[in-house]
Amino acid sequence: MRRPRRAAPRARGSRTMLGSGRRRPADSHADQWVLVAPEPVTDLPMKPDGGPLFTRLRNPSTGEAALYLFNSSAQQLFEVKAFHEEYRSWFIGQTVQHDGRLLFATPVDPLFLVLFYLIKAEKEKGKFQPLDQVVVDSEFSSCTMLLQCARVMDSLHHVIEEKEIGNKKFYKYSQEKTLTWLKKKVNQTVKVLKSSNVCVGGRVQSATFISGKQITDVKEDDYVRYAHGLISEYIPEDLSAELSKYLQLPELTSPEADPPLKKRKFSDAPVEAEEDYTKFNSSDLKNKKTTSKMSAAQKALAKVDKTGMKTMSAFFSAKTKATK
Amino acid sequence: MSESSSPIRLDLSSLREAPQDVLHLLPCEVEHNGSAPVARYFTPAIRQGSQEKSVSFRGRSLKGQEVIVPQGYVGLVLKEDQRPCTEEEERTVRLKSTFGTLTVWNLERAPSADDGLLLALSWPGIAEAIHAPVSRKEQ
Repeated sequence: MRRPRRAAPRARGSRTMLGSGRRRPADSHADQWVLVAPEPVTDLPMKPDGGPLFTRLRNPSTGEAALYLFNSSAQQLFEVKAFHEEYRSWFIGQTVQHDGRLLFATPVDPLFLVLFYLIKAEKEKGKFQPLDQVVVDSEFSSCTMLLQCARVMDSLHHVIEEKEIGNKKFYKYSQEKTLTWLKKKVNQTVKVLKSSNVCVGGRVQSATFISGKQITDVKEDDYVRYAHGLISEYIPEDLSAELSKYLQLPELTSPEADPPLKKRKFSDAPVEAEEDYTKFNSSDLKNKKTTSKMSAAQKALAKVDKTGMKTMSAFFSAKTKATK
Repeated sequence: MSESSSPIRLDLSSLREAPQDVLHLLPCEVEHNGSAPVARYFTPAIRQGSQEKSVSFRGRSLKGQEVIVPQGYVGLVLKEDQRPCTEEEERTVRLKSTFGTLTVWNLERAPSADDGLLLALSWPGIAEAIHAPVSRKEQ
């Protein structure tokens, strides 16, 4: 029986609170999930057997498997991330659910995922190719769905050179164009960060939600660096470094240590670390016992994190007081 | 690549009839999945203070805060009734219930604005900014 190191109460199956008191083994399949998703996800499908589709695709930063969600028409793509703290369970109506995770489906620009394949093709072949020969993946066959997103075709010109021979179009990755596009992404992210009271400075601040409590000594660079960190979660490491140069981000004189990510995390880890993303419980057991061992996603983040920039995970990670 | 990673279809046919559920995120692990008489033992013990909710749960004092699902988002409880026997069959999860708010409970101290979950609820807004198409005027 695992016991929490901190004084969290244990609630076992008991007759008074939990009905029968029978416990399912901890490694049994989770068969129920709590998800917060954009309203369009619940748009009814045109065909009765259709519906949104959860599928695994390559995380465009790490190349590892991650969970995504296509809406019914397969025109919108969402990434699924799990918010998870240790020692959490749900009461849902008149039931209890052991798995205390809250999944978030949030929009993701499918061009990031296509870009991963364009960069790969550029490294391997370095020539103009039809898109359907670039975006193929024997391990992630759903990746071809990306090419059916109207938005991908509309925005492809931001990241490629194009050639038309006969009636066929051929494409090649353009780093120069991509950096210009990414800079626009950074700019639009900075705008939202500025209006969102998110703490982007080096110091850990509390009460980021209380309006009017803006930190006054935050510089423009802090916002740009923060936005760069967020966007770096969607591009390969090399490109992230190129983007940092392109944005002329000054080197940090004293790279700050990111807050520990262990206790609370909001990352790909729970969803992508497992072959089968429904096996949430077993992976947690492992993580809990060896908290010093980093998950694949954390390792990947640690790599990207060299410049001390903030990342999405740092944004969601615990303040030091809440960690041990 | 194992077949267990096959896609999962979300069956929305129960969307109209799906009940609204009340959700509580507890600060402890309950090693059980299944029915629990929440309305009999937990809900009646909740006290609404001026700032926060409080409840006594298994002899411990919990402090809670009700949070609203971000604007433009919906809360969904998804359930896989039966996992296919063979891995070739498409897996399906159905919409079991929906929710618009949830209550986060902590031990002793009420969740503050920098609590993980409350911060995480601001992620959708940031994600929209990162992933919106680059605006026309900047093109």
